[in-house]
Amino acid sequence: MVNASKQLITGLGVLLLFSVLSVSCYAMDYPEEVEIDSLANLYEPVIFDHAMHVDATEGCAECHHHTTGTPVLNAYCAKCHTGDVEMDVVACQDCHSADPVSPENLHNPKPGYSYHNDQPNLKAAYHLKCLGCHREVDGPTGCEDCHAKTEAGDKFYHSGEFAPKEDAQHGAEHE
Amino acid sequence: MSKITRRKFLAASAAGGTAIMMAPTKKAFAAGSFEGFPDGMGVLVDLTRCVGCRTCEAACNKEQKLPEPALPFDDYSVFDEIHHGNQKRRTTDKAYTIVNRYDLKDSDEPLYRKIQCNHCNEPACLTSCFVNAYTKTPEGAVIYNSHVCVGCRNCMIACPFHIPAYTYHSVLNPVIKKCIFCYDTRLKEGRPPACVESCPQQVMTFGKRKDLMVIAHERIKKNPDKYIDHVYGEKEVGGTGWFYISSAPFEEAGFDVHLPKKPIIDNVKDFLAIVPVVLTVWPALFTGFHLLATKGKSHGHGDDHSHDEQEGH
Amino acid sequence: MKKLETFGIKPHDASLKADGEKWSIMEKLLLGLTLDQYIGQAIRNKLNWFFAIIFAIGIPVIIYRFIFSLGAVTHASYDYPWGLFLGFGLFCMVPLSASGFMLGTTVEVFGRHDFEPIERLALLNGLLGYFFAVVYLLVDLGQPWRLSYPMVYSFGPAAVLFLVGWHVATYLSVQVAEVSTAFFEWIGFQRGYDFIRKGTIGLTVAGIILSTLHQGALGALFLYAPGKVHPLWYSAPFQWILFFISSIPAGLCMVICVSTIVIHTMKWRCDKRFIDNLDWITIALAKGSAMGLITYLIMKFIAIAHDNEWAYFFTGWGAWWWFEILGFVILPLVILSYGIHNKLVGLCRIGAFLTVLGILLNRLNTALITFNWQLYQEIPHYLEFVIAITIFAIYVATYRFILARLPILYKFRSQAEE
Ligand code: SF4
Ligand code: SF4
Ligand code: SF4
Repeated sequence: MVNASKQLITGLGVLLLFSVLSVSCYAMDYPEEVEIDSLANLYEPVIFDHAMHVDATEGCAECHHHTTGTPVLNAYCAKCHTGDVEMDVVACQDCHSADPVSPENLHNPKPGYSYHNDQPNLKAAYHLKCLGCHREVDGPTGCEDCHAKTEAGDKFYHSGEFAPKEDAQHGAEHE
Repeated sequence: MSKITRRKFLAASAAGGTAIMMAPTKKAFAAGSFEGFPDGMGVLVDLTRCVGCRTCEAACNKEQKLPEPALPFDDYSVFDEIHHGNQKRRTTDKAYTIVNRYDLKDSDEPLYRKIQCNHCNEPACLTSCFVNAYTKTPEGAVIYNSHVCVGCRNCMIACPFHIPAYTYHSVLNPVIKKCIFCYDTRLKEGRPPACVESCPQQVMTFGKRKDLMVIAHERIKKNPDKYIDHVYGEKEVGGTGWFYISSAPFEEAGFDVHLPKKPIIDNVKDFLAIVPVVLTVWPALFTGFHLLATKGKSHGHGDDHSHDEQEGH
Repeated sequence: MKKLETFGIKPHDASLKADGEKWSIMEKLLLGLTLDQYIGQAIRNKLNWFFAIIFAIGIPVIIYRFIFSLGAVTHASYDYPWGLFLGFGLFCMVPLSASGFMLGTTVEVFGRHDFEPIERLALLNGLLGYFFAVVYLLVDLGQPWRLSYPMVYSFGPAAVLFLVGWHVATYLSVQVAEVSTAFFEWIGFQRGYDFIRKGTIGLTVAGIILSTLHQGALGALFLYAPGKVHPLWYSAPFQWILFFISSIPAGLCMVICVSTIVIHTMKWRCDKRFIDNLDWITIALAKGSAMGLITYLIMKFIAIAHDNEWAYFFTGWGAWWWFEILGFVILPLVILSYGIHNKLVGLCRIGAFLTVLGILLNRLNTALITFNWQLYQEIPHYLEFVIAITIFAIYVATYRFILARLPILYKFRSQAEE
């Protein structure tokens, strides 16, 4: 929900980490639905239909890399990870930090270290994965196809009831 | 800090006028080029990731307290805007960053590109400014001091990326407006800029410039099919703090691919180098001419001259 | 004026009246006429009416600019930060005012005192040109009240504009000093006159240095914009040389043009010395211009060869370049050479006029027309034209005002007799 603390201004999310509902995630034992709300601020939380996506994808590794104990699909990951071990951490946020560039954390991405050195942050991990696939398979790609804008979002984007008035439009165009 | 010496030198040569300045000249120029502050921050922009959502534009507007936009930031009709017959949108005094869409030759998917100040290592805006209104901070930002700006707009002429804009409509205090890397509010404290943080796709990765350069090349190496093998801004105009990797040739995304690899100021160096020479040699030379020309002649003014043998000079 | 002459009234041209009394400043200002006579001749002069119309329109527009911001009189373009005020006012006025240092050099340094009849005109032309270039600059600057900042408050010494600023400022003072001899004569301040005369050589050499540098610097300013100026008008190693060299014919031809206009419209003010000498001086100046022009032409081609830009010749911009070079460098060169060879003063004047136009075209091409050739071409706002023309009219009016009074075109009789 709308986070009141003003200084935490981000495009799509707050920095605070709440837990995603998927706590236990053993092989073939997965949540049907996941509410992704950890970053919700400008947009409402996403109710993610996990079961549907399990059916629609080739395998867990499509999203979960090498952590679910299923064959690794990405050749790059496969260099080290066989994928036959199921990890304790499976949820996105367990590896993808919501704030990889906090002052303490500035050295992530870590150069010189060839692996796990260029991890996207949590928000990007979601969006890159979701949108990457959706664009290929013609899934929904508009922002509000997945999550509705909040009032804070409308304010931020100057949309909805916060849309610019007519006269402002004329003032801003000078050509 | 070879750079500082060199700027100081240029300073001396442009302003001063004694032979003493000749000495440091060669040394300063030999010191080679400046690679930016070693620990300066930068941003790696991965064009392949951008989906054109304009969230970064909205974030910048909010962070920099810019005026209300003409259209909502989720209105995508702006991508079809054409100005002056053939121009896509550019940065203005009301928008420090904008996202444009480029249709590609070999792909149905367009490419989006975010435009803002690139925070050059040796900024043309800075070196062209005659009141030194610009500063390249050790953190990597190129910031601007409106209190000394006279309003000559030379920086706008000089910036190779067409970034600085001017508040022409202000009567008493017109100033330059451009992206400042969120220096005051964020960068100074080590936090990433608002636009970087807002992006859902992490198109922009914030970090030390030299670290990010490694990452950029790694991304290309790991995905040779996906990326063009070029980091735009690694070398262009002496290197920029924000640099780009792309899936399509950069010219298709509206980049100027003919920019020199050297800092813009290098173009001007030849000229600045002659300044001390002229200042020292000319007086001697022309006084010499004068003595020669008037030797043995009376200094009487303007009488007997024969009209026939006048020469040009 | 002419009419008055028929009544036997002669303008003031000596420090003492015929009866040995001194002229008062007021009388000098009125050219030795009575107030009625003065006003009468001013009203009869059609040029004054023309100026009145321009000022009536233009001065309110200038005031409008300062009340309603630059954005109100320009297109407020981000891509064309420099419009007509600088494109014309700075980049054209300055080379056309290079005459001061060149004639100064000829007379004072090379001891060619035979050029003296025109020296003061050339110096004045330089002074006014620079002064009005600064006026244009003041109109264009966003915060003109900060003009002195680069001098006293905040230094950007690696900037070419810094050099231009300093040098134009110093050179203006040098020129004021040089022209002040005429002024001291006019007000009858002999000591000041003597003092400055003693420093003439120093002033002249300072003038040469400053001119070489800032004429070149104006060209070097565009070195900050590689890729924005069309390659045919841009050359990193040669830009400053081209600007400097072309300022030589520019300045000389401007003097030819001004002296031509003066001899036709203000003959009453010219003394015999000026009138008798003008023809050969014109030809001598034309010679200098022709030499400058040919050097300039050669350098132009060297620059193109150096950057290997021949391919651009076959584009539309190439045609435009040829128009400039053929019509305004080669053509005047031919005309000047023919005129010099056959001692045809009239032809030399036509050639000079074309050369001046050519410099205008070249500077406008560099600063405005081919600028952003890869983006789009912008036509300045019409009010920019109005303001540019108004300031130019003020320039002409000031020029005329001074010529009519100070001993520029004539020598004070008292001294001529000394
Ligand atoms: S926020 Fe990110 S994805 Fe959206 S337009 Fe900006 S750079 Fe592109
Ligand atoms: S991009 Fe332009 S405005 Fe930004 S630092 Fe470079 S030259 Fe200056
Ligand atoms: S770095 Fe800051 S000022 Fe620059 S574009 Fe991003 S949000 Fe705007």
